[in-house]
This record gives sequence, C-alpha cells and structure tokens, in this order.
Amino acid sequence: MTNGKTIIALGLVVGAVLIQTTVFRYIRPFDLAPALGILMVIAVSRFLDAEQSMLVAFTGGFLQDLLGGSPLGLWAITFTVVAFVTIKVRDKEVGGPPIILAGVFVLSLMGLVIYVILGTLFGQGIINRPGLIWHLLVPSLFNVLLAYPAFWIVKVTVRPQERSMIR
Amino acid sequence: MFPSGRRLERATALFISLIALGFLVATFDVRSSSGSATTVLRSGAQTLAAPVQGAIDFVVRPVVGFVDGISNVAGLRDQNERLAAEVRRLEDRLRETAALEQRVAELEAINDLAPPEDLATVTARIYSAGPSTFDQVRFIDKGSSDGIVAGQAVIDENGLVGRVDLVTPLSARVRLITDPLISVGVRVQDTNQTGAVTGRGDELLRLDMFDASKPVTEGSVVITDGSSYPPGVVVGFIAETKAADVGFVLRTTVDPAAKFGELDFVKIVVGWSPLDADPETGDRLIDPPSFTDPGAERE
Repeated sequence: MTNGKTIIALGLVVGAVLIQTTVFRYIRPFDLAPALGILMVIAVSRFLDAEQSMLVAFTGGFLQDLLGGSPLGLWAITFTVVAFVTIKVRDKEVGGPPIILAGVFVLSLMGLVIYVILGTLFGQGIINRPGLIWHLLVPSLFNVLLAYPAFWIVKVTVRPQERSMIR
Repeated sequence: MFPSGRRLERATALFISLIALGFLVATFDVRSSSGSATTVLRSGAQTLAAPVQGAIDFVVRPVVGFVDGISNVAGLRDQNERLAAEVRRLEDRLRETAALEQRVAELEAINDLAPPEDLATVTARIYSAGPSTFDQVRFIDKGSSDGIVAGQAVIDENGLVGRVDLVTPLSARVRLITDPLISVGVRVQDTNQTGAVTGRGDELLRLDMFDASKPVTEGSVVITDGSSYPPGVVVGFIAETKAADVGFVLRTTVDPAAKFGELDFVKIVVGWSPLDADPETGDRLIDPPSFTDPGAERE
C-alpha cells in the first residue's frame, strides 16, 4: 500500500511537471507561470512519510531537469530540499488556512531561491537576470492560489487517512 | 519533526545522500560533452515525454485559442463601436472558428516567411516549453528523422528564435536567443558594424559592440552576421540610441524581433552551416551569387 501511495504521489508530481511544460506555456499572467512542480512536492510531502516524500521529490525534480534546459540535478536538489523542509514543518501547522497558505508561499519562494543559487553556481547566470525578484515572488503567489486545488487532489488520491499524522 | 529519532536519522541520511547525488549528477552533466550519458538520458526522457506533452498540447491548444478568440472579439467590439453590429453577427461564427483561424494564420505566416534564400528549412510546431520561468527553451515536434541536428538556427516569421541544442529522432530542444548562455554575432544594418547580442531572460537583449565607431540609433535593424547563424536573419531592433565612447564597448539593448510568448510554428534552417560562411563578411562561400541580403528584403 505504501508503494502504491508513493507511485500515485510520483504520478502527481510528474503530471504537474508535464502540465507546467504544456498548459502553462499558454496561461501566463504577467508572462509568468506557477512553479507547479514545487507546489505538488509540498502537497505530497504533507501526506507521505519522510523517505517516500524525498524519493518522490528527487525523482520528480530529476524529470523536470530532464525536460528543461538547465544541468541535471538542480531541480532534483531543489525539490528534495522543499520536501525535507515541508516534512519538518508539516506537523507544526497551526492557525488554519492562512498559515498553510503562508507556508506554501514561503516554501515555494525558498525552492525558487535555492534553484536560482544552484543555477548560478552551475553557470546558468540566473541571479544576474533583470526582474529576477518577480520571477521569484509571482510564481510563489500563483502557487498560493493553486494550493487548495493541489492539496485536494493529493488528499483524494493519496488517501491521507492511512497516515495518522495527516490533518 | 519526524516521528522518531531512528526515522529522523534515516530520513536525514537519505536527504544528505540525495543532495550529494544531485550535486554529483549536476557536476557530471556540466563537465560532460554532448553524446555523454546525460545527453542520452535527456534524449530518452524527451522521447518518452513528447507524446504525452503533445497530447496535452493537442487538447489545450484549441481551448486556449477559443478563449483568446473570444477575448479578441470582445476587445475589438469595445474599441470599434461602429462595427459592433457586424461583430455581433459574426460572433458566433468567430467563436467556433477562432482557434482554427489562429492556427491557419500562423501556418500561413510561417509559409510566407522569407528565410535566407536557397536555404532548406523544416517547419515545426512547438509543443512544450521549459518547466520553469528560468528555462529559455522550447521543444519542437521535429527531430533527427527530419534532418534536424544540434546547432541549426531556428527562425519564425519575425526573425531569429534560437538554435537547436538537443535532438531526438522525433523532437528537438531549441534554446532561445533570450537565454543568457546564448550569444549571437550580429551586424547593425545601418552602420554595418558588428557586435554580439546576449540573452537576458525575459528582458531586452544586450548588444555589445567592441569596435564601434558610429552611434547606433533606436529602431535600427540588427541582423545576424553569419558567424554562427545564417547571415541576414533579423534578430531585433535597437531599443536605445547609444554612441560609442572612445576605448569603451558600446553597450545598448535590442528588442527581439521574435515574439517568444506567441511562438507556435517555427522553421529550422537545415541548409546552412557556419563553415559555409566567410568569417569576415558572413557571405556564403558556396553558391555566392544566389544569396545577397535577405535582411534588407525583409525590411
């Protein structure tokens, strides 16, 4: 059953990456798109065990690397860190939806900042790009808007009731 | 926190292992050349993902086109009150056909495109973009089985789009000229002076001219110089008038001719290689009489 949950979660992350590369090529408010992969990693990491979450995140990130233009491994590291931090904070969720949404924003922003730093370290020159701050803030805000649909999809597919710590 | 100390240890160990693995893979990828294991992995993933992405794109494209069509009609109606009655009469038909019309228009435009003369081109459709806003890449539905190889220039009806940098049998990845890793040798058509244009993400391109003796003026056409792309392809237009200071690089910005947010169909120039060009003038060394200055024609 655990393997089944992991596979479903991985399917959701992979689906998010594929949607990111297709649907959000067209839907780009302010010429920017959400970081759907990061959002789905946050969502599945709320419901899976720690090891499963990180393996799903790493694999999903690696796929995003394969389908992108940056060196392999950068998104894999980014997703893994996001999953790790999500796992660390998920059981401290207090204060209801506003806190959860704020958490999604901070985790998304953190993931994008990590990617920018890694990309710069590996010669992508991302940190020097004009308008970088908007590329960090706006996708994170989009993630907040999409958080509840994403959480709902994960909730109904990954079956959170199988894990006692799930909210 | 993790449920228990032991699980914490296991999870932390796994976390550190995965991060280390990620760094190893990234380092290996950056250090490796084309044809390495990472290139094979990318090609394999692209081959597997392309049908799925193509299917999603096939479903999404008409819907987006339909919505765009509706919004366009509404916008025109607001702006053209005297045409309101006619717009209403045609509205239903436009709604049904907007998506199709858009695709036809793009195809017509791309077929009317005058690429550098006598150069063979292959028309391809973009079916996917990079997975993040930082990725200045697009994926096309033509690959090595259509004669595409890495390094070929990609153009659209407006001008230079980018170059192919990864090829599978049925698809290929195009790195846009907006990517900071891409530098294009160019010539300002007014002054005939050369320089290099570098991508800056979503912002205007940067033009550096190392030996400029004349100023560049806003609106001047910037074309490829033939050093690494077919000569005479429009790259963009000078966005800011600048004069060269003695002993300094002339640096200004260029508004790219291609509309990267609206890319749909593109052409890959398969009939040109940098080895065909004169390194000084950019003119073709093979069949010189048949190719003069297509950039001027396009103007």
